[in-house]
Amino acid sequence: MSIMQYNGSAIVAMAGKGCVAIAADKRLGQRALTVDTEFQKVFPITDRTYIGLPGLATDVKTLYDRFRMRVNLYKHNEERTIEPKTFSHLVSHMLYERRFGPYFVEPVVAGLDKNDEPYICGMDLIGCINFAKDFIVGGTASDNLYGMCESLWEPELGPEDLFETISQALLNAVDRDALSGWGAVVHIITPEGVITRDLKGRMD
Amino acid sequence: MARRYDSRTTIFSPEGRLYQVEYAMEAISHAGTVIGVLSKDGIVLAAERQATSNLLEQSVDNEKIYEMNENVVAGVAGHAADANILINQSRIVAQRYLLKYDSPIPVEQLVRNLCDLKQGYTQHGGLRPFGVAFLCAGWDSALGFQLYQSDPAGNYSSWKATCIGENNNNAQSILKQEYKDDDKEESGPNVKSVGSQMTMDDALKLTCQVLSKTIDTAKLSSEKLEFATLTLKSGKPCIHVYTSSEIDEVLKTYESVIKPADNQ
Repeated sequence: MSIMQYNGSAIVAMAGKGCVAIAADKRLGQRALTVDTEFQKVFPITDRTYIGLPGLATDVKTLYDRFRMRVNLYKHNEERTIEPKTFSHLVSHMLYERRFGPYFVEPVVAGLDKNDEPYICGMDLIGCINFAKDFIVGGTASDNLYGMCESLWEPELGPEDLFETISQALLNAVDRDALSGWGAVVHIITPEGVITRDLKGRMD
Repeated sequence: MARRYDSRTTIFSPEGRLYQVEYAMEAISHAGTVIGVLSKDGIVLAAERQATSNLLEQSVDNEKIYEMNENVVAGVAGHAADANILINQSRIVAQRYLLKYDSPIPVEQLVRNLCDLKQGYTQHGGLRPFGVAFLCAGWDSALGFQLYQSDPAGNYSSWKATCIGENNNNAQSILKQEYKDDDKEESGPNVKSVGSQMTMDDALKLTCQVLSKTIDTAKLSSEKLEFATLTLKSGKPCIHVYTSSEIDEVLKTYESVIKPADNQ
C-alpha cells in the first residue's frame, strides 16, 4: 500500500456559475483502522479561496501551517489578498521545492478570483498543476469521484444546485471506498460569502 | 580630535557616550511625529507625514504605519528605508513564531526581537545604527493591550501614552497632563491589568488634541496624517488603518479640541 493511501481521504472541487464548491470527507485512519471522524482536510486561505489536502495526514497539517505563513507574508508585502491562481502557483512551487522528498498530498484549490470568476485546480504531489473548468478530485476515492462527477456535473450550476451535485458525488463515491467517508463537509464559495454545511454519511 | 569618537559606532568616547547612536536619535527627533495612546479597550496610533508635495505620486497608502502581524501594528519615525528592513524582518519573525507554536507572537517578544537587531548595529563594527524609532501597539492573550516605544540604541519601554519624532517633549508633557489614569482603583473580576480610565473615544480625542499642538501647520488634514487603531472584535485583535476620508471624519468629530489651539 502506498503512503498516499495510509490515512484515506476524498476531496472534490466543482465550478458553478459565479460560484465554486469544495467538499471533503472527515475520516482519519491508519490503513483499515478508523482513528478520527472529525479530521479537517479543507482549509480557508482567504475569504474566498480554500484548499483541500488529501493524502498523508501529518503532511496535511504541516503544509497548511506553511501555506498560512506564506499567505500572511504575501498579504503584508503586497497589501492585498492572494488570488486563487497565484496561490495555486505558490503551492505548486512549494511542492516542487521538495521534488526528491515530497510531501504526500495532492492539493485541490477552489476559489473565486477578483472578477468573481470560478477557479479550481488540482496538483500531484510534486506540484504539477491540473487546471480544470469543471471539477477536480483527489484522495483514495478519486476513481469513484471521477465516475460520479462525470455523470452528475453539468455547466452553469447555481450555488444550491452545485451543493446538491457535489454532495451527492462525494457521498456516493465514499460509500464505495473503505478508506474515506464518515461524514463530509461542503463549502460553497459565492461572491456574497461562504456557505459551509456538514453532511452525515454512512458511519461504517 | 573632537571627532575621534563619533566616526565609529562601536567606540565609547571618554565621557562614556556612543556618538553615532546619539546622532541617530537626533535624526529621529526631526522626523514626523508618531503618537500612541492606550485605552482600556484599544490603542490609537497616529503619525504625521512630512513634506508632501502635490507632484509626488503616492506609491503606497501608508508610509508611517505598518501592520507587523495580526496582533501588532507599528508607527515609524526616522529613515523610511531603514524601517522597511526592520518591518520585513519583524513580519518574518512573527510568522515564524506562528508556524512553530500555532499562536500569535506575544507583543513584547516581537519588540524585543526587533530591538536585539537594532542593538546589534550599535556594537558590531563597520555599520551605522538603524535610524528609526518605533511605536508598537499590540495585543496578546497574556498581557492584553500594550504600547511599546523603541529607539536606535535598542532600548524599549512600555507606555500608556507616548510620542516619538519632532516635538516629542512637547507632546509628552501634554499627554502627561491630559491622560486620565486610574486614580480611583476599581476592583472586580472584569478589570484588566491595564489601569486606564480612557475609552477609545477619549484616546482618539487626546490624540487629535496633541497632534494639533505638536504639528506645525495651520490646519490638520488627512493628507498629512495617518491613523490606525487596534481593538478587540469578538476576542480577536483587529487592526484598522484609517482611509483619508475616515481621518477627515475623525478630525471633524474632534474639531472642538483642535480649534482652540489655532486661536492661541
